[in-house]
Amino acid sequence: MPPRLRYTVPRGLGSVIKPSRAPSTPFVALLPSTPAVTLAPRQYATAAAVSRSSLRLPDDYVPPTRPPTARPADARKSQLLRNYTSLLRSTPLILVFQHNNLTAVEWAAVRRELKLALANVSTPGTDSADIASRAQLQVIRGRIFDVALKIVEFYDPSQVAPTTVSSASGEKVQVVYNHDLSKSAYNVAKGIAKGEIPVPESSIYAQISPLLVGPLAIFTLPAVSPAHLAAALSVLAPSPPAFPAPSRKKNPSYYEPTAQNGLSKLMLVGGRVEDKVFDIEGVKWVGGIEGGLDSLRAQLVAMLQSAGLGLTTTLEGAGKSLWLTMESRRSVLEEEQNGGKEAKESS
Amino acid sequence: MITRFITEVTTRFNPFSARAKSARLFLSFLPANARAQGMNVTTQLLPRSSTEPSSLYIKFKDGKEMKLDCEAMNIKSIVEEVDRHSRALQKADDLANA
Repeated sequence: MPPRLRYTVPRGLGSVIKPSRAPSTPFVALLPSTPAVTLAPRQYATAAAVSRSSLRLPDDYVPPTRPPTARPADARKSQLLRNYTSLLRSTPLILVFQHNNLTAVEWAAVRRELKLALANVSTPGTDSADIASRAQLQVIRGRIFDVALKIVEFYDPSQVAPTTVSSASGEKVQVVYNHDLSKSAYNVAKGIAKGEIPVPESSIYAQISPLLVGPLAIFTLPAVSPAHLAAALSVLAPSPPAFPAPSRKKNPSYYEPTAQNGLSKLMLVGGRVEDKVFDIEGVKWVGGIEGGLDSLRAQLVAMLQSAGLGLTTTLEGAGKSLWLTMESRRSVLEEEQNGGKEAKESS
Repeated sequence: MITRFITEVTTRFNPFSARAKSARLFLSFLPANARAQGMNVTTQLLPRSSTEPSSLYIKFKDGKEMKLDCEAMNIKSIVEEVDRHSRALQKADDLANA
């Protein structure tokens, strides 16, 4: 969970531009004090009459920085929802853990070991170091994460109809409110919870939702990197042949009681890699891909290239044999012609 | 839940099954220092395709063993069942120490 941010909403400005309330103080009082001698009192009245209506915002004015939301936007849960939706959209690799009453020191020890293991597999100054520095293990709020999963998969922001609101100057404008906290996104999540919107069996949400039970933590990587995944698995859920725990000699802090206690309470239950949901075996399979995604790509390219080579030789073969036949026939004909000529000359 | 008298907890479940919920919640009910105080907790996760029912096996200090069926029981009834025996043990313990 991200740290709590404490800040106060600036109230002074809000009360000034609040749409429905007319300024209670006469406008005259807001004008900079000018020497009364130079201005006639009548000019005050006209200026006030014009400016008061132009200063007042229209009733249906919506500040562009504060689009309407279905739930209070400054609530912690709302911001967590935004956090989770952006995380789900940007993270290709998520491992889901159940954590059973880890204490704060144990969490710290687990995160320290994880960081160490990830740093070991990455070389500084490259992409792999970037991946390692952005990998994180965080405790999530199950219900909010559930809603975020629904919104990310089933809510289509492009389908939202625009609404008409007034701009600050009073003219009507069409605005689309399709952010993740909007009423339309909320209705989609609510509709799925109520069963009004069908959830197909093959969807990611339907597959991953049985996992989301009890206290949960997720480990996220910003890219599908089997090397980093293998390092994380060997720390968080070691299984000896493929993902052995770091040795006692190399990494004594891994065997400290706090770290070991914490790890024994952390239980890997599954994961999502790109758009597929995997169980533990599947996650281990992804972690066991030798040489990472690049080697898989290289294999694919080699396969396609060899196939292409075969195809071109086959296609070329027909033309080549035709050319050879014609060529041989031509040489035969030429020989015949020449032979005939020679025969004529000799006779 | 009274966990003082439990010495061994063994669970087997498939996390992708909706019936594994009570077994998983039972694990989350064990206190943070349970393992340090000598409770043996073993969890075995079944593969996704497995249809084996989730099971929970509990052993108490007095040697009583409990095999609970997580398929049919929810977490409330499991806790109730475990506490029923733990309370008897606690009563005996209180009388012996008083």
